[in-house]
Amino acid sequence: MSNGVGEGGRSQSREKRKLFQGNDFAYAIARMAVAQICESVEVNVYPQTREGVRFSSFQESALDKLTSVAVQYIQSIGKTAQFYANVAGRVEGNSLDIVQALEDLGAGVSETDRCLADSSVVKDVIRYTGEAEEMPFVYALPRFPVNKEKRPASSFYEVGVEPPEEHIPVWLPAFPGTKSCNPSEEANEGEVASKENGPSLQSIQHPFNGGGGSSEVLKSPNDVRKLTEEVEGNPFLTAPLRFVEKGVFSVFHPLELSINYVPDKHIGNNHSIPLLEASTPSDDTNKKNGLAKSEDGEKEDGARPQQTLLRFKIGTLKRPSCLAIKRSVQEQGWFHEGGGDKREKKSVIEENRQRINLETVDSDVK
Amino acid sequence: MNHGQQSGEAKQEDDAALTEFLASLMDYTPTIPDDLVEHYLAKSGFQCPDVRLIRLVAVATQKFVADVASDALHHCKARPAPVVKDKKQQKDKRLILTMEDLSKALCEYGVNVKHPEYFADSPSTGIDPATREE
Repeated sequence: MSNGVGEGGRSQSREKRKLFQGNDFAYAIARMAVAQICESVEVNVYPQTREGVRFSSFQESALDKLTSVAVQYIQSIGKTAQFYANVAGRVEGNSLDIVQALEDLGAGVSETDRCLADSSVVKDVIRYTGEAEEMPFVYALPRFPVNKEKRPASSFYEVGVEPPEEHIPVWLPAFPGTKSCNPSEEANEGEVASKENGPSLQSIQHPFNGGGGSSEVLKSPNDVRKLTEEVEGNPFLTAPLRFVEKGVFSVFHPLELSINYVPDKHIGNNHSIPLLEASTPSDDTNKKNGLAKSEDGEKEDGARPQQTLLRFKIGTLKRPSCLAIKRSVQEQGWFHEGGGDKREKKSVIEENRQRINLETVDSDVK
Repeated sequence: MNHGQQSGEAKQEDDAALTEFLASLMDYTPTIPDDLVEHYLAKSGFQCPDVRLIRLVAVATQKFVADVASDALHHCKARPAPVVKDKKQQKDKRLILTMEDLSKALCEYGVNVKHPEYFADSPSTGIDPATREE
């Protein structure tokens, strides 16, 4: 079979073929079967030579049209036969239902006073099978449509993992990306933390580890972060989340905002955590800032600020140094008599001055 | 519809023809594969575990397509042959299934497949040049 001259070019026929789609495989097979049938059609068989005129080639669009007509023919037979079976109160079709459907489609003369089995349709078909040459389909077909067995998702109980939240029962299917064995979870936590989006979250984790008292608080945000990592492991969810995250972390955010971003990601509702998280690093930052800047006149030990407030007081040199000395004295608990330590401090200062004077004298001498 | 014993016997004979035919269908392999027919029948809602019925549908469809193709071949042959200038060329005309022949053949079966004769680029296509000038 060779394709004949297409009308309007190949692209048009390809577009037309695309119109008939839904199941390309079935359509392609039907096309081949119809082409085979057309090839076998013979007209004007000469008795001497036993040869007749046949089709040598087809137009592609003509073949497509004939295939779609044949497919619709099959479908209309099925639809009508099922209709007749339902009318008779049956679910499965009968041979007589098919014969009736064929009569409806105009294949034979429908006669109401004769039995269906004796209809001309059947006779025509019998005649056809007797006359036409038997021509099986050229290809061996696999069984289709292939039904993929749907494996039900394993539940939390089967996987052996505790559900992350209390309200989730054990018999529900596990979340996608849930690891099966428990020890590997903690090992993955480190990987998860390193894989995590961006350096800012890591920088948050370090002060967490530095602050000893907040270790209990650590577990829940880590688990939450791990859960979010598992949720992000789902390929359908990674792409948009990653995009949003990148957009966030490209800009430098103050720590509060980046901390508060975590609870937005995860599913669980832990409103208590953000407050704790916000408070602990704020103390650390306060400490860091306090050490770095000696001009910081005010430091609040007792009251824990909800938000980090950095107040800068820039004053003269003398006054802050005296204040710093006083503060250090109070912290270290050197609570001697008021006059004694003052005298000590003054002597230290005098010694420094003398040292400086000596140095200057020495320099002058040189 | 059928009254009396005589018609009952006739009915049995008619049934026998059909049952015999269905039995003989297992020997005959239709061109259209069984899986394909079963797929399209299931698509339209007809379910049947019996293979013979599916083969019956396949044979009926094959007969239908063959009838259409033979009608198209008749139309193709009936068309006057082009003028053969070269006498050496024999009259072995390559018969091609064209849309024209197919549409004529399908028209008899109630399927209307007609191609437009031309595609108009502008609204004035196909109008007589005399009127177009106006």
